[in-house]
Parts: sequence; structure tokens; C-alpha cells
Amino acid sequence: MEPITMLLLILGITIGGVLICAGVHFVPVGGAPAAMAQATGIGTGTVMLATGSGLTGLTSAGFMLHLHGATLPQVLASGAVGAMIMMCITMLIGNVIYIFGVGVPPASAKRKTDIITGSRQDLYVSKGTEGHGMPTMSFVSGTIGGLLGGVGGSLVFYEVYQVNQDPALSGIFAVGIFIVNAVVASYNIGGTIEGFHDPKFKRLPKALISCLIVTLIIGVFAVLIAGGA
Amino acid sequence: MTDSVAKPDVPKRKLIAIGILGGLVGIYLTYLNVVATDVTKTPITYFSFFGGIGAVLATYWGADAVRRVSKYGLGTGVPSIGMLALGMGLVASMFGLAIAGDVANKTGLEALGLLGPIISFVVAIGIGFIIGYLANNVIGINVPVMVGCTTEIAGSGALILVGLSAAVAGVFTFKDLAVGSVTIYGIQSSVIDTGFIAVLFIASALAILHPFNACLGPDETQYRTLRLAISTGAIAMILAGISSVARLEIAAIPTIVIGLAIWIIFFKKYYEAVKTDAATVVETGLIPETEV
Repeated sequence: MEPITMLLLILGITIGGVLICAGVHFVPVGGAPAAMAQATGIGTGTVMLATGSGLTGLTSAGFMLHLHGATLPQVLASGAVGAMIMMCITMLIGNVIYIFGVGVPPASAKRKTDIITGSRQDLYVSKGTEGHGMPTMSFVSGTIGGLLGGVGGSLVFYEVYQVNQDPALSGIFAVGIFIVNAVVASYNIGGTIEGFHDPKFKRLPKALISCLIVTLIIGVFAVLIAGGA
Repeated sequence: MTDSVAKPDVPKRKLIAIGILGGLVGIYLTYLNVVATDVTKTPITYFSFFGGIGAVLATYWGADAVRRVSKYGLGTGVPSIGMLALGMGLVASMFGLAIAGDVANKTGLEALGLLGPIISFVVAIGIGFIIGYLANNVIGINVPVMVGCTTEIAGSGALILVGLSAAVAGVFTFKDLAVGSVTIYGIQSSVIDTGFIAVLFIASALAILHPFNACLGPDETQYRTLRLAISTGAIAMILAGISSVARLEIAAIPTIVIGLAIWIIFFKKYYEAVKTDAATVVETGLIPETEV
């Protein structure tokens, strides 16, 4: 393989990893408190959500790649749409359960008004909680998270596939890279985040640097198994 | 009533030794398949279960590393650490096995292909060290054992995955291996291309993360958590055995049966530990059906 091609592939994988890391920060993760409707966000951990949307994104990206002559933008778009659909359905069903099951309106205590719709939400936050459900801003943020994660995951998948031409190997390699970046990002979040309006979102640069370094190193390994096929 | 509090913890060094040596020896013992096939000129894959045993021993070590780092409460939950372990292990093991196969093909020295598991392990601890370092110094988690434990869980993650893959394929080489006129299918064609790698990935992630996740709390004890670790490792081994039916057919039985035996023994031991550690065990019976 030409050194310049190798560098471009490593660059692609690294960009993919950084996108995944950024995407995780957009997803409204509430963790255990949200599972009890005591915090805004989806009631599970970062890694579970990122893995769910990432794997759906990879599956849809792989489906597109399987078509003869699929180009990079098509693969990325397919992966992004897959991940976004997974994320949106999770948030929608979550909201249905919070609203009709638990009986709480989606609201966040971190902002007085929803920064997208502009409507008051502090009135609807139950006493002693930090909010519940996914208000519009968290929902939009989560969709952006799905987009970034899906594009990042598909980019990694596509680039690794260019190296070894084995869809199964590149798929599982992309899963590995995806999970590593998602966990590093979740260390930075420290459990819960509500979306781009959350004060914790400002910590993003630290995670981006870490993920850049980690993915760069893993990218070198990925490209070295060129003769894998 | 036996006094469980007096049970001393297994020291870290001993666990590391058991994990690394046990894991690697288990993986390399699957090579007996190739030796036996070479001697008898018929395909023999009955030694595949050694890979599973290696994976169980690596789980024993990995679960303790998860336990030590999770005690600090990273805020992300124990599962994320287990998934990280296997994410790092996955990347490292695929790279290690594949690169060893590549180098062996290019240089014509078949012996180099046998270094795969060791390369995987070394790469894994390298990646683990870097991630631990970044988590502590760039992200600022500031957990004193972070670097050491992330290094350990990455190493054990790689060993578990290579061990289970070897149990499924019957051999730890990446490519198919021609032994005389007999072909032994390598990890690429029997574990990765078939998709079993996804099962092994999630089974080993659960094996490493579940023990502490289930036992955590102020009354958590090492011996109870580690007994559970061996039983979850055995479940992963059973799943590897079931996956190996596709390629190894009847030779999958030892993996499944030995896995089941380990699981039964250690789940019983774990249950004993639970009863010993509990304040009291009360049989409540069924909830009485009174109200309509």
C-alpha cells in the first residue's frame, strides 16, 4: 500500500473516532436517576445508548456498502440515518413511557426555558428532581448525537473495509473502535448529560483530544493488517 | 455459620499471574489439535476446550481488575468498564492474530504465525495503558489505580477473546491452516466471517463486568465476586462451545460439557458464599393471595 493512501486511511479512521466521541456528548443520557424519572434523559448508560445506535448505524452502513458501487457519501448517509432512527425511536418510546406511564411531562431543571421552543419548563419539573423525560432540546440534541455517531461509525467501517476488504472483520473492528471511543467519552461526561445545553458539554474538547490520540493509535493498527484478506 | 470475613483476599500479583499464564497456556494448548492432526493424518479438534479454560482463567483476573477500578465509582457504571475492556481487547486481538498471520505468509516462516496471541496481549496492554493515562491526565478522572487497572482489563479482555475464538475455531491462527492434506479452519473463516465473534464479544464482556456489577456494595467480598466471575466465564465458554458446533461438530462436546461442569461447581460455590455473607437467609414462601 502507498504510504499516502495509508495516511489518508488513518486520517479517515481518526476523524470517525472523533465524530463518535462528539456524538456521545450530544446524546441525553440520564443513567439510573432517569430510569426513576428523577433526571432528564434516557434511563440507561452512555455506552448502552452509543452501542445501540452505533450498531444500528453500522448495520445500515454495511447494507449500503453491500450494494455494488456504493460511494462513501452514500455509506455515511445510510449509517447516519440508521443511527438517527435508532436514537429517535429510543427517545420517543422513552417519552411515551415517561408521559403516559410515569405521568411526568418532559422538562429539564437546568434551563428555565427550552432553548429551541422557548416555552417555560421550570414550572413542570417535579420537586426534588432534576427534570424528567426528553424535552425538545434534548430530543434534537440526541438526534444530532445519532447523526454524528452514525457518520463516525460508518466512516471507520468504510475506511477499515478499504484496507482489508473483509466486511465481517471491518465491521467488528469498527465496533471495537466505536465502543472504546464511546467509553472514553462517557468517562468525560461522568455518567449523565442532557444534551448540548448541559454545562458538562463544555468539557467536550478534553474528550476530543483523548479520542483523537486513542483512535490515531488504533487506526495505525487497523491499517497495518492490510493483507488480512 | 462459617466466618467469611476472615477470608484473606487473593493478592493482585497472584491473580495477574493466573490470568496471563493460565490464559496463554490455555490458548497455546489448543495447538495440540494441529499436532494430533499431523500425527494421525485425520482431523482431530478435541483439544479446543483448552481455549475456553484459558478464557475462564483470564476472566478470573479481569473481573478482579474491574472490581478494583469500579470501587472508586467512575460515574459511568460498571458495564462501561467491561465493554471498554472488550473493545480494547477486540481491536488488539484482531490486530495481533491478523498481523502474525500476515508476517508468517510474507516471510514464509510459519512459526511466526504462532505469536498471534502474545502480540494481541502486548498490543492490548499498550492500548489499555494509553487509555488509562489519557483518562487520568487529560480527562481528569483522577483515580489512582486507573492506569494499572485499565491496562489489566485490556490484557485480560484480549486473552478472553482469543481464548474463546480458539475454542470456537479449534486453532488460534488467523488464516486456515493446511496440515498435510487436512485443512483446519482459522479464526477468520470460522469466528469472524460467521459472525460468532459478536456472540463471543458480548458474552465475554458480560463475563467480565457482571461479577462486580452483581456483587457491588459495602458488603462486597473478593472471594464471592471471583466465584461468580468463574461461573460467568464458564457461561461464555459454554456459548463458545455451542458456536463451535458449526465447525468442529462432535469436538464441540468437551467445551460444552467442561464449561457446564465449571459453571455448576462455581455457581454452587457462589451461592454458598452468598448465604455465608448474608445476615440471614429467610424462606418467605409465595406472596399470599389475599386481596382481589
